[in-house]
Amino acid sequence: MDYLRVTSEVELAAALREDGAVFLAGGTDLLVKMRAGALRPRLLVDAARVDSLRQLSDRPDGLWIGSGARLEDVLASDAVRRDYPLLAAVLHSLGSVQIRNRATLGGNLANASPAADGVLALIAYDGKVALATQTGERTLDVSEFVRGPRRTALAAGEYIRSIWLPAPRSDWVPFFHKVGRRQALTIAIASVGGLLAERDGVIVDVRVVAGSVAPAPLRLHPVEDLVVGRPVDRTLLATASEAARKAVAPIDDVRASAPYRRDVIGDLVARFLRQASGHTAGGASP
Amino acid sequence: MKVRFRVNRREAAVEVDPGARLLDVLRNDLHLTGTKEGCGEGECGACTILLNGRPVNSCLVLAPQADGCEITTIEGIADGPHLHPIQEAFVEEGGVQCGFCTPGFVMSAYALLRANRSPTDDEILAALEGNLCRCTGYAKILAAVRRAAARLALKPDSEHTPEAE
Repeated sequence: MDYLRVTSEVELAAALREDGAVFLAGGTDLLVKMRAGALRPRLLVDAARVDSLRQLSDRPDGLWIGSGARLEDVLASDAVRRDYPLLAAVLHSLGSVQIRNRATLGGNLANASPAADGVLALIAYDGKVALATQTGERTLDVSEFVRGPRRTALAAGEYIRSIWLPAPRSDWVPFFHKVGRRQALTIAIASVGGLLAERDGVIVDVRVVAGSVAPAPLRLHPVEDLVVGRPVDRTLLATASEAARKAVAPIDDVRASAPYRRDVIGDLVARFLRQASGHTAGGASP
Repeated sequence: MKVRFRVNRREAAVEVDPGARLLDVLRNDLHLTGTKEGCGEGECGACTILLNGRPVNSCLVLAPQADGCEITTIEGIADGPHLHPIQEAFVEEGGVQCGFCTPGFVMSAYALLRANRSPTDDEILAALEGNLCRCTGYAKILAAVRRAAARLALKPDSEHTPEAE
């Protein structure tokens, strides 16, 4: 195996045209795969010192996050703390300090795990991803980029340049809950992230995304369509839970069974609607 | 290929395989065997070192990625024969049983206490989230970090931060 450190996107794009070249960002997933023998790159292209990929840029129409920005640096950014609290909550729960000091959002996207909580938050904020090659750039919705387990829309020679999060509503109330065996360093059994805006007791806008219950983090459009324009009451919580259970497609694996995951998602969606709306009449916690 | 970095304030130049992990280069080439390999996949924190001042798992860093960087290992925090106050506190509180995870815990605590002189218990637990111990039940580790924080709070900065940032 060869190793090449690049320091500019021009060098990076040229190196990625080599046969068998693999993009190395933080390495927190890649090195685990290499150790297990699941990945044997011919050439590792280390992009960690490409400065243009590490910038965060807070602009009136949203936040641009370089694909190579370390998660701890993303978490430390004022814009993320102030305007994207769901992303902050998700990143806090991702890996550990040691992992977040190396890992990047681009890596979380490219690794394409069904349990990628970072991706879940990007989808909730309607994020777009900018993909670049030597000759140009294209933009995709994050939800289009992640195609399934370990599958992305990346073409040969292409790399992730940045992630764009449009300016959020100022009245979004965030919610994130991950069910796993422990808080740190755990891969979710199931997770739900959501954003909710309410006016006069009625939900006026909502986003809800579920993790680890489908081939990729899944936006629960049926739940969103069901609850917009309605007040949060017991009936709504029950029907939204049922819609969430129907919308997901979990599998059995070492962490949990499919039926358990389905039930957890239903309960988390009800908890999201109750907590984010400040609703108190729903009885005991499901 | 040749990589150069500073380890514990000393220059090091090592001939490595491009796929060599920093953990192995520290242990096998530089004989800094205080850094341990537990899981080898970033879950346990036994191999925690500071890379440019930040705690990372050295099992998940390739040696070439550390080229030009400043590295601190468990061997680099004592002042000659005098243990670092964090190490003293682990001894005094009995925050050690088998000891295999201890270097990693000490390095995570070291990174925390350099950034935050008076952490709350929640902040200590958050800083140690990437380190697993299978013996102690964590209570005495937490007590050791509290004790170290109290002791360091009484000292001027220069006495417990041997390497300049």
